[in-house]
Amino acid sequence: MSLISNAFILFVVAAVCCYYLAPMKIRWVVLLAFSYVYYLAGGVRYLFFILYSTIVVYLFGLAIDHLQKKNASLKTQKRVITIGIVASFLMLGIVKYLGFFTDLLNTVFDTKIPGMTVLFPLGISFYTFQSVGYLLDVYWKKAEAEKNFFRFALFISFFPQLVQGPIGNYNRLAPQLITPHKFSSEAICRGLMRIIWGYAKKMIIADWAGVFVDAIWGDPDRYNGIVLFGLIFYGIQLYADFSGGIDVVIGIGNLFGIRMDENFRQPYLATSMADFWKRWHITLGEWMMNYVFYPITLSGWMTRFSGWSRKVFGKKTGRVVPIALADFIVFFLVGIWHGASWKYVVYGLVNGGIIAFSELMGNRYRSLRKTLHITGKETWFHIFQIVRTYIIVNLRWFYDRSDTVAEGNYLVKQAFSHFDCSQLFDIAAGRGGTAFVPTALLIITVGCIVMVAVGILKERGTDLYQKITALPVPLTVATYMILLLLIGTFGSTAVLKGFIYAQF
Amino acid sequence: MHNFKKILLAMGIVVVCFLILMAADFVLYPCTFMRSDIHAISTTTYDDVFVGTSHGKMNIDPETMEEVDGRTGHNLCVGGEYPVDILYMLELMIETGHAPKRVVYEVSPGYFVREKEVGNNYLLFYHEFPISVTKFDYFRATLLKCDFRTLLFPWYEYDISYELSHAQETLAKKIAKDYSEEGFATEKQKYYASGFIERYPVDPSSFEDDEVEEWFPEDIVEKNMQDLSDIIRLCKENDIDFVAITTPLPDQTLEESGEGNEALNNYYSDFFKDTQVPYINFNYNEYYDMTEHEIECYTDLDGHMNGDAARDFSGVLADVLQKLP
Repeated sequence: MSLISNAFILFVVAAVCCYYLAPMKIRWVVLLAFSYVYYLAGGVRYLFFILYSTIVVYLFGLAIDHLQKKNASLKTQKRVITIGIVASFLMLGIVKYLGFFTDLLNTVFDTKIPGMTVLFPLGISFYTFQSVGYLLDVYWKKAEAEKNFFRFALFISFFPQLVQGPIGNYNRLAPQLITPHKFSSEAICRGLMRIIWGYAKKMIIADWAGVFVDAIWGDPDRYNGIVLFGLIFYGIQLYADFSGGIDVVIGIGNLFGIRMDENFRQPYLATSMADFWKRWHITLGEWMMNYVFYPITLSGWMTRFSGWSRKVFGKKTGRVVPIALADFIVFFLVGIWHGASWKYVVYGLVNGGIIAFSELMGNRYRSLRKTLHITGKETWFHIFQIVRTYIIVNLRWFYDRSDTVAEGNYLVKQAFSHFDCSQLFDIAAGRGGTAFVPTALLIITVGCIVMVAVGILKERGTDLYQKITALPVPLTVATYMILLLLIGTFGSTAVLKGFIYAQF
Repeated sequence: MHNFKKILLAMGIVVVCFLILMAADFVLYPCTFMRSDIHAISTTTYDDVFVGTSHGKMNIDPETMEEVDGRTGHNLCVGGEYPVDILYMLELMIETGHAPKRVVYEVSPGYFVREKEVGNNYLLFYHEFPISVTKFDYFRATLLKCDFRTLLFPWYEYDISYELSHAQETLAKKIAKDYSEEGFATEKQKYYASGFIERYPVDPSSFEDDEVEEWFPEDIVEKNMQDLSDIIRLCKENDIDFVAITTPLPDQTLEESGEGNEALNNYYSDFFKDTQVPYINFNYNEYYDMTEHEIECYTDLDGHMNGDAARDFSGVLADVLQKLP
């Protein structure tokens, strides 16, 4: 059930009505029921996967809790958590990576191991990470193990976040799901505003940008003069699509009185790659930081490596090398989280490489700034940092959008060896065809200006949703209607595609 | 009292929003020929209703046929019309009490080898359905999975510049409840009240070779055949005669896609034989020589005839149908 379909809208309306009409005590049961109906609508055959994750993590959570209460040895606890994590990732590994590793083995060893066509269940990457996060929180005593299986099942399956996240933190999300929320017109208005804004980003900006991206990537030889435009459009499409989808998800959460974690914070205003990853897909970055980066940097082998590094590279650089290595590992994992493909491995390594390099060059960079008398507070320098980061971020998209590394390399070559703006006007822009290209470009430009303006206001602490919902009711409704009518009037007329991140 | 006011306000807001959307739809959604066609079949009872694709729309003229066999008819074919659309239009005719005596289904193989894309012109039909149980059923079967704009702003399907330039005309036609074919003609074709579109002759030297596509029975999508079976079942249940036909193709097309076409002819012949309904393919056997296959009779290699050829073919079709047992 796509987030933009009539079926989904009607489903949400029904869920909200049932939630507020149900007695307070069983409101969370309504959420659980609707979550499973939503999941089952995708196919009964997928039920096994989510039940597997729920049961495995629930049982291991209880087991760890039990061991901790019995003061079992750390070794035993460690053994149980390791088995729990392996068991949780097992299903994800089979459905997402088995084919990739079979191909790899066949290529390397010239074998003919038969591949397997495995179903790819809805949202498995998201709920697996969410459940492993819970397990580790219980192990580190940051969270109490949930005793009620059905409440735990709701934490894993809460329907708005199933498709594309955000990856919820147990301590922040679970209590909100269980607590019965009273009907609040403010929460409803806020949610509606967020949903409409998300749809506008997706249907007006992302889908129009996607028309150009698909054409250019679909026939890079024909459109070899506008590959750079394609890259910029892809950056716009990806952000408007993913953040638009998250706006819809968070907005739906608001309708139930639930505040989910934010996943974006104006990423294209980042001043460095490290800063970018604190603003883009925040919940994945936070997950990696809490459950991969810190455990790695605090591990015994890393401490030993750190000591060795200081001896070899000196005190200053030696201190940074282990952090750079941990960054590298984290981004390698971020890469393969996106999918089982070499292009994602390269994508992760490029990200990790850039951040590790920045860490290693940090001291030299600071010295250079000192020599040039740059304090870092200058506006021009701030803008320079944003532009520099924007360029680096966009260059990485070559590999993200391409199907293979070779295609990515080819497009990089095309981008910097040909330039012919006129090719833009040969692309059929939706039902209007090539004649509609100028209008489509204008829509994307105006859409981006609005999106950036909203982002800058947010960056300066202005909460637009709050401001709009605080307006007199007729004005609030008028704002909704205008935005809705804009979607109807200026939304893409090309064949609509689902949200990009729904495939992960 | 306070709560009552709040509920009243909320309801008022919903009503106002609904009215705004209705008004926008009324002004912006253009009057299509499908509006006229669906109005015709849901308000008039015809002897024959022709369903199918653009081949049927441009090759079958009900007025010419009436001159031959004396049967009234309406051409309900349109490019993008899949079996699922036909199934619900037939249900609509039955629900409104205007079921025809006979349904002539123009079978175009290209429409059976691919599944109708989500959002692919469902609105063209749904928007024109009068409020009915069938409209609800059609929504459930098709539009439920389409994006929400189909429900809130159906006019998104057309360019805003086109809508605004036609707004006055749209408004005038809708207010006057005018379902005539006026305003549909273009420099390439003319529309008739019978639902027939006459295409003006085109110089065959302008046809492009890559227009010809070839399909095979193994490409056929099961869902389309299931819908076709449902149409036949519905006809039988309601005492409506059902005839399937395939309109003539130019010789060049038959030559270039010969193998696939022949295999499909055999496939459909077997299928319709099994379902016990007649099937006439004007590209094979004794029917081949009854119609023109010269390239000059067509406006493209796909098999869309020009007006004169279409009228000639319609005369032959009426004659052949009349002779059916």
